[in-house]
Amino acid sequence: MTMNPAQRRYLGRMMVVSVTYVAAIFLAGSLLPKGSPATPLSVAIALLPGLAVFGFIWAIGRYFSELTDEYLRLLEIRKALVATALALGVASSWGILEIYTDVPRLPVFWVFPIWCLGLGVGAAVNKLTFGDGGCA
Amino acid sequence: MKNRLKILRAERDWSQGDLAERLEVSRQSVNAIETGKYDPSLPLAFRIADLFGLPIEEIFLKD
Repeated sequence: MTMNPAQRRYLGRMMVVSVTYVAAIFLAGSLLPKGSPATPLSVAIALLPGLAVFGFIWAIGRYFSELTDEYLRLLEIRKALVATALALGVASSWGILEIYTDVPRLPVFWVFPIWCLGLGVGAAVNKLTFGDGGCA
Repeated sequence: MKNRLKILRAERDWSQGDLAERLEVSRQSVNAIETGKYDPSLPLAFRIADLFGLPIEEIFLKD
C-alpha cells in the first residue's frame, strides 16, 4: 500500500523526534546521576526528553489534522481513543492498587508508552469492527 | 446506509482504485463505503454524486 503525503510527513517527523528523544535520554543519563538533587539546571536537563515526548504528541496531532481522507482519519482517531481509554484505565487502576496494596509503584513515565501500545490495541479493534486497522 | 456505489462503479467498469483516484480518497475508503461499513460525510457524498452525475438520494438509500 502506498503512503499518502500526510503519512510520509508523519513518519519523517516521528523519525526526527525519535532521534531527538534518544539523544536527550543519553544526554540526561550522562550528565545526571540517578537521584540527582532537583536544581534548576538538573530539572532543565531532565525535562529535555519530556520535550521530545511533546514532539511525539505534536507529530500525532499534525498527522490527524493533515489526513484529508475522512475514513482513514476516523480509523486513526478511533485508535487514539482506544489508546487513551487504555492508558487512563491502566494508570488509574494501578494507582488504586498502589493505595490499597504493596504492588510496586508504576512510574508515571510509563503512561505515554502505554498509550502508544494502546494504538496497537486500537488498530486491532478497528480490524475487528471495520476490517481495516488504519494506516500508521 | 445502503448505497448503489458498487453497481454504478461496475457500470463504468471502474475498479475501487479508479473510483478512489477520481474522488481523491483511499481505496480503503471506497471499500468501506461500498460495503456499508462507513457512511461518508455530506461533502464526500456530494463529490460522489457529482462524479456520477446523480442526486445523492439515487446513490445512497435509506435502510
